[in-house]
Amino acid sequence: MKKTVFLFIVASIILTASFTMKTEGDPQKPWVVSDAAKNKKNPISSNATSIAAGKTLWNTHCKSCHGSKGLGDESKSAQLKTEPGDFSKAIVQDQTDGALFFKISEGRKDMPSFKKKLPDEEDRWQLVNFMRTMKK
Amino acid sequence: MKNKIKNISVYLSCLILLVFISTRLNAQDPAELSTESTETKIKPVKNTFESAVLLDNQTVIVPIKGTFEMDIQHRFGTINNGAKDLFGLFAPSNIRIALSYVPIKNLLVGAGITKDRMQTDIHLKYALIKQTPTKFPVSISYFGNMVIDGRDGSYFRYNVHRFSYFNQLIIARKITEKLSIQVAPSLSWFNNIEGYVNSNGDIKNKMKNEHIAISTMIRYKLSESTALNFGYDQALTAHPTNNPHPNLCFGFEKTTSAHNFQIFAGNYYGIVPQSNNLFNQNDYMKSQYVLGFNISRLWNY
Repeated sequence: MKKTVFLFIVASIILTASFTMKTEGDPQKPWVVSDAAKNKKNPISSNATSIAAGKTLWNTHCKSCHGSKGLGDESKSAQLKTEPGDFSKAIVQDQTDGALFFKISEGRKDMPSFKKKLPDEEDRWQLVNFMRTMKK
Repeated sequence: MKNKIKNISVYLSCLILLVFISTRLNAQDPAELSTESTETKIKPVKNTFESAVLLDNQTVIVPIKGTFEMDIQHRFGTINNGAKDLFGLFAPSNIRIALSYVPIKNLLVGAGITKDRMQTDIHLKYALIKQTPTKFPVSISYFGNMVIDGRDGSYFRYNVHRFSYFNQLIIARKITEKLSIQVAPSLSWFNNIEGYVNSNGDIKNKMKNEHIAISTMIRYKLSESTALNFGYDQALTAHPTNNPHPNLCFGFEKTTSAHNFQIFAGNYYGIVPQSNNLFNQNDYMKSQYVLGFNISRLWNY
């Protein structure tokens, strides 16, 4: 009887702890982007060249977390503390080019800043152009 | 037979050089370039190769300013012993660990240590010219190093004999998004070369102190992050004895945002370029290949 009670208590503690750990990291604070950044105009026109260049950069730098179609379904995404999101949905696609550019450039938590890795702004705008092709 | 092979190799190297100097730029579609020219200025062609080190040679690439790189290069023993030493995996191996940094635009400086001959090297690479869609048909970089042989003093009469040097001009062209070619003539110099006493009692060098060689590399991308690579290194200097064998190497490369992984087979075991160029006795005609891998980790500051 004592053994059963002890096992029950241990199981309860493990179960409670697992829920606690799960719920701690889930809620994401809104990613605040200044109006200036939101309204920054994309200087690179969206054409086959810029989208192809963006796709190459995406496959090297972004795909391992965000997936090839931006669905956040790649193997590495399961290890992230923050949800990588689904870029095909309106919540992402309704954002301005400037807002996406800002987020790629600055990063937050698991999402690294790409200002130094891709110092040429043109590269990051090309990524934005490629991300637009993910819209469903 | 050997001279014939050598002549053919030199001819092929020159031919490749001519081809990629003379061919028109295809790395970007000119029609699309013209539409973009009004909104962006002409920029150098990107990613001629995916890493600064490829197979047994440096590439023309100098990473962007502020890049800190760690390289691990490993070569197993020759595969021709078969299962006896698991194709060289259980044989004595060679390894180099190196760190490099790009403090200013176009200049890479670094240092490394290599197990074979206990060598320590310092090196630099400078991007002299970068290929552009209209102005320059090729990218050109200079690579040079100074190596100190750290073995016991009994190997050397004077400490200055420990030093060797390597100078290389790397010329590369990204022909299409998938295909890049590189040709790199080099000059190696060893302060000390092993000698012997001939039948007249005269002391002679087994090899010359200087050695000229040429290296070619081809990269063909299979996808945005994977590629097949081929390389060939040919000695041009003829030595009195111990003439080195050429290097034929081929491998697979995978690139991620912060890593580059290469696995390949080749004849060079030495890793340090001047050691490879002067002392390689692995003969591809006798299947004396070694398996090797290179791993690069990049950080941007």
